[in-house]
Amino acid sequence: MKPRALKSATADLFAAAAPPSRRAATPPAAAASPPPPPEQSTARSRSRHLWYAVVFPALGEPQSAPLSLERLCLHAQRFTPWVSIEPPNALLLEIRGSVKLFGSLAALGADIDAVWSGLKLRAQSSTAPSTLAALWLARAGQKAVLEDPGSLAGCLAKLSVACTSWDPGRLHTLRTMGVNRIGELMRLPRAGIARRLGADALLDLDIALMRQAAPRRAFAARERFHERCDFEMEVETVAYLQTALGPLIERCARFLRERQAGVEALELKLDHRTQPITRIRLGLASVTGDPRRLADVSMHKLARLELAAPVRSLELKSGPLRPLSTDSFDVFACLGGAGGRDTAPQLVERLRARLGEQAVYGICPVPEHRPEVAWQRVQSLSAKGTMRVGRQTPPPRIDVQGMPRPIWLLNEPARLRAPDVERLRQSRSLLEGPERIESGWWDGKDVTRDYYIVRQSGGTRLWIFQERRSRRWFVHGVFA
Amino acid sequence: MPREAPTLADILADARVWKLSLSSRDASAGQPLSSPRPVWSTGRSALDARLPGGGWPTASLIEVLLEAPGLGEVQLFLPALVQSQKVEGETPWLVWIAPPYEPFAPALAQHGIDLERLLVVRPVTATEALWAAEQALSSGACAAVLLWLKGADDRWLRRLKLAAEAGGALGVLFRPERHRFESSPAALRVLLARGDEGPHLEIIKVQGGRPGPVWNVI
Repeated sequence: MKPRALKSATADLFAAAAPPSRRAATPPAAAASPPPPPEQSTARSRSRHLWYAVVFPALGEPQSAPLSLERLCLHAQRFTPWVSIEPPNALLLEIRGSVKLFGSLAALGADIDAVWSGLKLRAQSSTAPSTLAALWLARAGQKAVLEDPGSLAGCLAKLSVACTSWDPGRLHTLRTMGVNRIGELMRLPRAGIARRLGADALLDLDIALMRQAAPRRAFAARERFHERCDFEMEVETVAYLQTALGPLIERCARFLRERQAGVEALELKLDHRTQPITRIRLGLASVTGDPRRLADVSMHKLARLELAAPVRSLELKSGPLRPLSTDSFDVFACLGGAGGRDTAPQLVERLRARLGEQAVYGICPVPEHRPEVAWQRVQSLSAKGTMRVGRQTPPPRIDVQGMPRPIWLLNEPARLRAPDVERLRQSRSLLEGPERIESGWWDGKDVTRDYYIVRQSGGTRLWIFQERRSRRWFVHGVFA
Repeated sequence: MPREAPTLADILADARVWKLSLSSRDASAGQPLSSPRPVWSTGRSALDARLPGGGWPTASLIEVLLEAPGLGEVQLFLPALVQSQKVEGETPWLVWIAPPYEPFAPALAQHGIDLERLLVVRPVTATEALWAAEQALSSGACAAVLLWLKGADDRWLRRLKLAAEAGGALGVLFRPERHRFESSPAALRVLLARGDEGPHLEIIKVQGGRPGPVWNVI
């Protein structure tokens, strides 16, 4: 199994690069040129691959079972490391390497089929030396097992062209041409097929007949770190939990380091005998796999925890793994860490672990005239360690003209009573204004206001406005 | 990384190793300061002239006593905040802890503050606010930490002062004016009071300088 897995990995590399470039580089005229000599390619591929294709007709329907193809891939990976998804409802398994392990081809095929029947799934399977041939045979519902590339053309010739699941337009063209079987299609001149059906159709035909190599990408399961620690006795103190969590965090960090990955969040589950499970989310300010940061956050979070009941077991689960950004490491950074210096994400994490996720945030301006919607909170930190504004990378340009804006904005404009307004008016405290802001008719929160800057008797500067419809006065900001 | 870390640290701790391009902060870790801490200009020459070093001192605690919010207390520090974010090779984060109202992002952007490196912290209790300030000041990731408090005991202020000295940041504490006659470990204490002609600034305590009112700065 091992060398096969390695080989499949290399083939996977080619799969990532080869097919698009070939498709792009091959104009229809070139596709119409004579196919490569079949003897050579069959001789090479006979020893290489054998494809088991399985089609789940139920999965294509809208009210299909919740089992996804990814989940089925995990079942299929018991038999071969090289499982490829063919949307919408088929899987392709390379089984040449597994035949010896499972005894014989028939035994292997029966074992795989037993999995689908065990899952109570209707499945049609076929085995052939090429991917598309196996798939077409499976779609046709033939339980064929073809090992010999020589018999491929003969078997495929009997199939209906509908098995190719080409788009309806192309199938309609074929029907109007009077072509119903693949055999009839194979007899047509290549140049004509390329012109009337497109070069893709010719390529598919070549792949099915093994005139053309078609590397496939192997499905790689998503990985998570998941480990639990059972206690011999029920634990009642948080301090003991922290001690027990230490090694788990360390293993999690090693797991991440081996995969060059990081996480954005960890989940901690505490299992009690009587109470429901306690779930604790350990959020990180940025993607990281640094053991110090993971430990720091978890310890702070645990320190705040009040145990509802004694704990029987502890479970640590990572969120989805994310690739670590390829920032260069500062060789002297470890010194900073030793001297008690943190990076900004570390500080954010520590503050959030104790004060809560919502209590620590950044702010950013929004290009808007209405002051209350001219800013927003930012929760996430980007890889560079700055507060990130949604998706947009360039920060919105701020209009620096116009009236100065106050440092403090009141959450809700505060109503000014009539005597206060009168006093402001008489003391001639107006510094600037009016600035009319009239906007937002489209989202139901429209404002029509005249803004002024006034100085109160003590020296406090306020940003006040008069609502033009109601003629009422409000304070909206303070120049601190 | 964790295994290599001590060895590299050992090598660099060796007195025979010359460290060429480390910033003064790293080079002086654990040793008495060779160069004075930077000061940030207040943007007002009259006030700069009265402060030792000619600006707001970093790595120490500055206490601002306010008679009321809105006397231009943040604007006193805005030039310093903008400058401190522009230093090469530093980590120019600003942390505002428990501000009395929402900081208005367009206004700060107008003044030239890099909002990508501004953090607002909203703790629930005063103890949490003080803890957050201590963490931010001592982290070394911040250029300035601004903290608004109703009251705090002497012990906590001393901890803040130590954290500020360790982290090297500009630490500013805003408190109501009623704490004026309490003792405070802050190196610099400034009072902002209401006045008929506008706000009035008075230096109550300054290490290495002369206390007294400062006119025409706001």
